[in-house]
Amino acid sequence: MISTLDLLGTIGASVLGLPGILGVALGMMTRNWIVAAVMGGIVGVIAPLLLGGSHSTHVAISGAEYAIAIVVGILAGLVGTAVRHKGASI
Amino acid sequence: MADPKDELPPRRRGQLRRAWDAFWSPTGVLSTGFLLIAGFIGGILFWGGFHWSLELTNTEEFCTSCHTMETNLGEYRETIHYNNHSGVRAICSDCHVPHEWQYKMKAKIMAVKDVYHELLGTISTPEKYEERRLEMAAAVWKKMKATDSRECRNCHAFEYMDFTIQEARAADSHQKAIDEGMTCIDCHQGIAHDLPPGYLQEYRHVVETLAQTERGGRERQIDVAQIKTYLGIEAD
Repeated sequence: MISTLDLLGTIGASVLGLPGILGVALGMMTRNWIVAAVMGGIVGVIAPLLLGGSHSTHVAISGAEYAIAIVVGILAGLVGTAVRHKGASI
Repeated sequence: MADPKDELPPRRRGQLRRAWDAFWSPTGVLSTGFLLIAGFIGGILFWGGFHWSLELTNTEEFCTSCHTMETNLGEYRETIHYNNHSGVRAICSDCHVPHEWQYKMKAKIMAVKDVYHELLGTISTPEKYEERRLEMAAAVWKKMKATDSRECRNCHAFEYMDFTIQEARAADSHQKAIDEGMTCIDCHQGIAHDLPPGYLQEYRHVVETLAQTERGGRERQIDVAQIKTYLGIEAD
Protein backbone atom coordinates (compact mmCIF):
# COMPACT_ATOMS: atom_id res chain seq x y z
CA MET A 1 0.00 0.00 0.00
CA ILE A 2 1.53 3.30 -1.04
CA SER A 3 0.91 6.62 0.68
CA THR A 4 -1.04 9.46 -0.92
CA LEU A 5 2.13 11.47 -1.43
CA ASP A 6 3.84 8.46 -2.98
CA LEU A 7 0.84 7.95 -5.26
CA LEU A 8 0.80 11.62 -6.35
CA GLY A 9 4.55 11.50 -6.98
CA THR A 10 4.28 8.35 -9.09
CA ILE A 11 1.38 9.80 -11.11
CA GLY A 12 3.24 13.07 -11.68
CA ALA A 13 6.40 11.23 -12.71
CA SER A 14 4.40 9.15 -15.20
CA VAL A 15 2.72 12.22 -16.65
CA LEU A 16 6.08 13.94 -17.17
CA GLY A 17 7.74 10.71 -18.28
CA LEU A 18 7.38 8.36 -21.22
CA PRO A 19 3.75 7.26 -20.60
CA GLY A 20 2.50 10.86 -20.53
CA ILE A 21 4.55 12.41 -23.31
CA LEU A 22 4.79 9.50 -25.75
CA GLY A 23 1.18 8.56 -24.94
CA VAL A 24 -0.07 11.97 -26.11
CA ALA A 25 2.21 11.87 -29.17
CA LEU A 26 0.95 8.42 -30.20
CA GLY A 27 -2.65 9.40 -29.50
CA MET A 28 -2.27 12.33 -31.88
CA MET A 29 -1.39 9.89 -34.64
CA THR A 30 -4.86 8.35 -34.80
CA ARG A 31 -8.53 9.35 -34.73
CA ASN A 32 -9.53 6.00 -33.30
CA TRP A 33 -10.10 6.25 -29.55
CA ILE A 34 -9.53 2.56 -28.91
CA VAL A 35 -6.28 2.43 -30.89
CA ALA A 36 -5.08 5.53 -29.02
CA ALA A 37 -5.90 3.99 -25.64
CA VAL A 38 -4.20 0.70 -26.57
CA MET A 39 -1.06 2.46 -27.79
CA GLY A 40 -0.94 4.56 -24.62
CA GLY A 41 -1.43 1.44 -22.52
CA ILE A 42 1.41 -0.34 -24.31
CA VAL A 43 3.71 2.60 -23.59
CA GLY A 44 2.57 2.35 -19.97
CA VAL A 45 3.72 -1.28 -19.88
CA ILE A 46 6.99 -0.69 -21.69
CA ALA A 47 8.07 2.47 -19.84
CA PRO A 48 8.66 0.86 -16.42
CA LEU A 49 10.37 -2.08 -18.13
CA LEU A 50 12.75 0.20 -20.01
CA LEU A 51 13.24 2.96 -17.47
CA GLY A 52 12.11 1.46 -14.15
CA GLY A 53 14.48 0.22 -11.47
CA SER A 54 18.00 1.59 -11.65
CA HIS A 55 21.34 0.75 -13.20
CA SER A 56 22.93 -0.12 -9.90
CA THR A 57 20.31 -2.02 -7.95
CA HIS A 58 18.00 -4.92 -8.59
CA VAL A 59 14.81 -3.76 -6.91
CA ALA A 60 11.68 -5.21 -8.49
CA ILE A 61 9.29 -2.71 -10.10
CA SER A 62 6.09 -2.72 -8.08
CA GLY A 63 2.65 -3.56 -9.45
CA ALA A 64 1.44 -0.11 -8.42
CA GLU A 65 4.13 1.49 -10.59
CA TYR A 66 3.00 -0.56 -13.59
CA ALA A 67 -0.69 0.11 -12.94
CA ILE A 68 -0.17 3.87 -12.65
CA ALA A 69 2.00 4.00 -15.78
CA ILE A 70 -0.64 2.05 -17.75
CA VAL A 71 -3.54 4.24 -16.58
CA VAL A 72 -1.56 7.42 -17.31
CA GLY A 73 -0.55 6.01 -20.72
CA ILE A 74 -4.17 5.24 -21.62
CA LEU A 75 -5.38 8.66 -20.51
CA ALA A 76 -2.53 10.36 -22.37
CA GLY A 77 -3.41 8.42 -25.52
CA LEU A 78 -7.02 9.57 -25.21
CA VAL A 79 -5.93 13.17 -24.71
CA GLY A 80 -3.75 12.86 -27.79
CA THR A 81 -6.59 11.60 -29.96
CA ALA A 82 -8.89 14.32 -28.57
CA VAL A 83 -6.31 16.87 -29.76
CA ARG A 84 -6.35 15.17 -33.16
CA HIS A 85 -10.16 15.34 -33.33
CA LYS A 86 -10.26 18.97 -32.28
CA GLY A 87 -7.26 20.27 -34.19
CA ALA A 88 -7.08 18.31 -37.43
CA SER A 89 -9.53 17.63 -40.21
CA ILE A 90 -7.82 14.46 -41.40
CA MET B 1 -41.75 46.15 -38.41
CA ALA B 2 -38.21 45.13 -37.60
CA ASP B 3 -37.56 42.74 -34.74
CA PRO B 4 -36.03 44.75 -31.86
CA LYS B 5 -33.55 41.89 -31.28
CA ASP B 6 -32.00 42.55 -34.71
CA GLU B 7 -31.16 46.10 -33.72
CA LEU B 8 -29.05 45.08 -30.74
CA PRO B 9 -25.27 45.13 -31.31
CA PRO B 10 -23.82 41.63 -31.69
CA ARG B 11 -22.77 40.22 -28.31
CA ARG B 12 -19.03 40.39 -27.85
CA ARG B 13 -17.49 37.06 -27.16
CA GLY B 14 -15.13 36.69 -24.26
CA GLN B 15 -11.40 36.99 -24.81
CA LEU B 16 -10.77 33.50 -23.51
CA ARG B 17 -13.34 32.02 -25.87
CA ARG B 18 -11.86 33.89 -28.85
CA ALA B 19 -8.33 32.81 -27.89
CA TRP B 20 -9.55 29.19 -27.60
CA ASP B 21 -11.13 29.35 -31.06
CA ALA B 22 -8.05 30.97 -32.58
CA PHE B 23 -5.86 28.27 -31.01
CA TRP B 24 -7.83 25.53 -32.77
CA SER B 25 -8.31 27.33 -36.11
CA PRO B 26 -6.18 26.35 -39.12
CA THR B 27 -3.54 28.94 -39.82
CA GLY B 28 -3.85 30.74 -43.10
CA VAL B 29 -0.41 32.32 -43.17
CA LEU B 30 2.00 29.71 -41.81
CA SER B 31 3.19 26.68 -43.73
CA THR B 32 3.35 23.19 -42.24
CA GLY B 33 7.15 23.34 -42.43
CA PHE B 34 7.26 26.60 -40.51
CA LEU B 35 4.98 25.21 -37.81
CA LEU B 36 7.03 22.01 -37.54
CA ILE B 37 10.37 23.83 -37.29
CA ALA B 38 8.97 26.41 -34.86
CA GLY B 39 7.40 23.64 -32.77
CA PHE B 40 10.66 21.68 -32.75
CA ILE B 41 12.72 24.70 -31.66
CA GLY B 42 10.07 25.68 -29.12
CA GLY B 43 10.15 22.12 -27.75
CA ILE B 44 13.93 22.20 -27.36
CA LEU B 45 13.78 25.57 -25.61
CA PHE B 46 11.01 24.43 -23.30
CA TRP B 47 12.69 21.13 -22.47
CA GLY B 48 16.09 22.76 -21.96
CA GLY B 49 14.55 25.39 -19.71
CA PHE B 50 12.63 22.77 -17.74
CA HIS B 51 15.71 20.63 -17.23
CA TRP B 52 17.85 23.65 -16.32
CA SER B 53 15.31 24.74 -13.70
CA LEU B 54 15.19 21.21 -12.35
CA GLU B 55 18.96 21.12 -12.00
CA LEU B 56 18.88 24.43 -10.11
CA THR B 57 16.71 22.73 -7.50
CA ASN B 58 19.44 20.09 -7.10
CA THR B 59 22.05 22.54 -5.83
CA GLU B 60 23.13 22.73 -2.20
CA GLU B 61 22.28 26.43 -2.12
CA PHE B 62 18.69 25.69 -3.09
CA CYS B 63 18.29 22.80 -0.63
CA THR B 64 19.64 24.80 2.28
CA SER B 65 17.93 28.07 1.44
CA CYS B 66 15.14 27.17 3.88
CA HIS B 67 15.75 28.06 7.52
CA THR B 68 14.84 24.55 8.69
CA MET B 69 17.66 22.98 6.70
CA GLU B 70 20.37 24.76 8.71
CA THR B 71 20.62 21.96 11.27
CA ASN B 72 21.03 19.28 8.59
CA LEU B 73 23.63 21.40 6.84
CA GLY B 74 25.69 21.90 10.00
CA GLU B 75 25.73 18.16 10.70
CA TYR B 76 26.55 17.26 7.12
CA ARG B 77 29.50 19.67 7.09
CA GLU B 78 31.13 17.63 9.84
CA THR B 79 31.03 14.43 7.80
CA ILE B 80 33.32 12.76 5.28
CA HIS B 81 30.81 13.41 2.52
CA TYR B 82 31.57 17.13 2.85
CA ASN B 83 35.34 17.16 3.43
CA ASN B 84 37.67 14.27 2.67
CA HIS B 85 41.14 13.42 1.42
CA SER B 86 39.98 12.75 -2.16
CA GLY B 87 38.25 16.09 -2.68
CA VAL B 88 35.06 14.48 -3.92
CA ARG B 89 31.96 15.96 -2.36
CA ALA B 90 28.48 14.52 -2.20
CA ILE B 91 25.87 17.28 -1.87
CA CYS B 92 22.25 16.91 -0.66
CA SER B 93 20.85 15.87 -4.03
CA ASP B 94 23.48 13.17 -4.51
CA CYS B 95 22.01 11.23 -1.59
CA HIS B 96 18.39 12.36 -1.66
CA VAL B 97 17.50 12.75 -5.36
CA PRO B 98 17.56 9.75 -7.70
CA HIS B 99 19.34 10.02 -11.03
CA GLU B 100 16.73 8.09 -13.01
CA TRP B 101 14.23 10.46 -14.62
CA GLN B 102 10.93 9.02 -13.36
CA TYR B 103 12.22 8.61 -9.79
CA LYS B 104 13.80 12.04 -9.90
CA MET B 105 10.47 13.57 -10.92
CA LYS B 106 8.72 11.61 -8.22
CA ALA B 107 11.20 12.87 -5.61
CA LYS B 108 10.75 16.46 -6.79
CA ILE B 109 6.97 16.22 -6.61
CA MET B 110 7.08 14.60 -3.18
CA ALA B 111 9.46 17.33 -1.99
CA VAL B 112 6.50 19.74 -2.11
CA LYS B 113 5.74 18.47 1.39
CA ASP B 114 9.05 19.98 2.56
CA VAL B 115 7.93 23.40 1.35
CA TYR B 116 4.55 22.87 3.03
CA HIS B 117 6.18 22.04 6.37
CA GLU B 118 8.62 24.93 6.01
CA LEU B 119 5.62 27.26 5.67
CA LEU B 120 3.85 25.60 8.59
CA GLY B 121 6.97 25.82 10.72
CA THR B 122 6.77 22.14 11.66
CA ILE B 123 10.50 21.99 12.48
CA SER B 124 11.20 25.70 12.84
CA THR B 125 12.91 25.50 16.25
CA PRO B 126 15.69 23.20 17.49
CA GLU B 127 13.22 21.63 19.94
CA LYS B 128 10.68 20.89 17.20
CA TYR B 129 13.47 19.57 15.00
CA GLU B 130 14.67 17.15 17.66
CA GLU B 131 11.12 15.97 18.29
CA ARG B 132 10.78 15.05 14.62
CA ARG B 133 14.33 13.87 13.98
CA LEU B 134 13.59 10.17 14.39
CA GLU B 135 10.47 10.38 12.22
CA MET B 136 12.32 12.23 9.44
CA ALA B 137 15.28 9.87 9.60
CA ALA B 138 12.97 6.84 9.48
CA ALA B 139 11.30 8.17 6.32
CA VAL B 140 14.67 8.41 4.58
CA TRP B 141 15.79 5.00 5.84
CA LYS B 142 12.57 3.47 4.58
CA LYS B 143 13.12 4.91 1.11
CA MET B 144 16.75 3.82 1.05
CA LYS B 145 16.03 0.32 2.29
CA ALA B 146 13.18 -0.11 -0.22
CA THR B 147 15.41 0.97 -3.12
CA ASP B 148 18.47 -1.06 -2.06
CA SER B 149 20.28 2.21 -1.23
CA ARG B 150 19.97 3.33 -4.83
CA GLU B 151 21.40 6.79 -4.29
CA CYS B 152 24.43 5.47 -2.35
CA ARG B 153 25.15 3.13 -5.25
CA ASN B 154 25.39 5.97 -7.73
CA CYS B 155 28.91 6.42 -6.31
CA HIS B 156 29.63 3.30 -4.25
CA ALA B 157 29.55 -0.33 -5.33
CA PHE B 158 30.76 -3.48 -3.64
CA GLU B 159 32.18 -4.58 -7.00
CA TYR B 160 34.56 -1.61 -7.10
CA MET B 161 35.82 -1.95 -3.53
CA ASP B 162 39.36 -3.13 -2.94
CA PHE B 163 39.06 -4.81 0.45
CA THR B 164 42.86 -5.09 0.73
CA ILE B 165 43.22 -1.33 1.16
CA GLN B 166 40.22 -0.94 3.48
CA GLU B 167 40.52 -1.11 7.25
CA ALA B 168 40.15 -4.68 8.44
CA ARG B 169 36.84 -3.94 10.18
CA ALA B 170 35.40 -2.23 7.11
CA ALA B 171 36.57 -5.01 4.78
CA ASP B 172 35.05 -7.68 7.06
CA SER B 173 31.77 -5.79 7.31
CA HIS B 174 31.53 -5.24 3.56
CA GLN B 175 32.28 -8.90 2.84
CA LYS B 176 29.61 -9.88 5.34
CA ALA B 177 27.17 -7.45 3.70
CA ILE B 178 27.77 -9.07 0.30
CA ASP B 179 27.40 -12.57 1.72
CA GLU B 180 24.19 -11.74 3.55
CA GLY B 181 22.58 -9.56 0.87
CA MET B 182 22.52 -6.43 2.97
CA THR B 183 22.32 -2.87 1.70
CA CYS B 184 24.32 0.28 2.58
CA ILE B 185 21.73 1.86 4.87
CA ASP B 186 21.57 -1.30 7.02
CA CYS B 187 24.79 -0.11 8.69
CA HIS B 188 25.33 3.50 7.61
CA GLN B 189 22.20 5.17 9.02
CA GLY B 190 24.07 8.13 10.50
CA ILE B 191 26.50 8.70 7.66
CA ALA B 192 25.56 12.34 7.02
CA HIS B 193 23.36 13.47 9.91
CA ASP B 194 23.26 12.92 13.67
CA LEU B 195 21.44 9.86 14.91
CA PRO B 196 18.49 10.30 17.27
CA PRO B 197 18.13 8.23 20.44
CA GLY B 198 16.43 4.90 19.79
CA TYR B 199 17.44 4.86 16.16
CA LEU B 200 18.31 1.17 16.09
CA GLN B 201 14.84 0.13 17.27
CA GLU B 202 13.26 2.49 14.76
CA TYR B 203 15.41 1.09 11.96
CA ARG B 204 14.40 -2.42 12.95
CA HIS B 205 10.78 -1.32 12.80
CA VAL B 206 11.30 0.17 9.33
CA VAL B 207 12.88 -3.06 8.07
CA GLU B 208 10.11 -5.20 9.53
CA THR B 209 7.35 -2.97 8.12
CA LEU B 210 8.90 -3.13 4.66
CA ALA B 211 9.34 -6.87 4.88
CA GLN B 212 5.65 -7.28 5.70
CA THR B 213 4.41 -5.07 2.89
CA GLU B 214 6.71 -6.12 0.11
CA ARG B 215 6.10 -9.07 -2.08
CA GLY B 216 8.19 -12.13 -1.51
CA GLY B 217 7.76 -11.76 2.22
CA ARG B 218 9.50 -15.00 2.92
CA GLU B 219 12.75 -13.88 1.39
CA ARG B 220 12.53 -10.60 3.22
CA GLN B 221 11.97 -12.31 6.57
CA ILE B 222 15.27 -14.11 6.08
CA ASP B 223 16.83 -10.75 5.31
CA VAL B 224 15.40 -9.24 8.50
CA ALA B 225 16.79 -12.11 10.55
CA GLN B 226 20.23 -11.59 9.03
CA ILE B 227 20.15 -7.88 9.74
CA LYS B 228 19.05 -8.48 13.31
CA THR B 229 21.94 -10.86 13.80
CA TYR B 230 24.35 -8.39 12.25
CA LEU B 231 23.12 -5.53 14.39
CA GLY B 232 23.43 -7.70 17.48
CA ILE B 233 19.70 -7.63 18.13
CA GLU B 234 18.13 -10.87 19.28
CA ALA B 235 15.87 -12.45 16.72
CA ASP B 236 12.28 -12.72 17.93
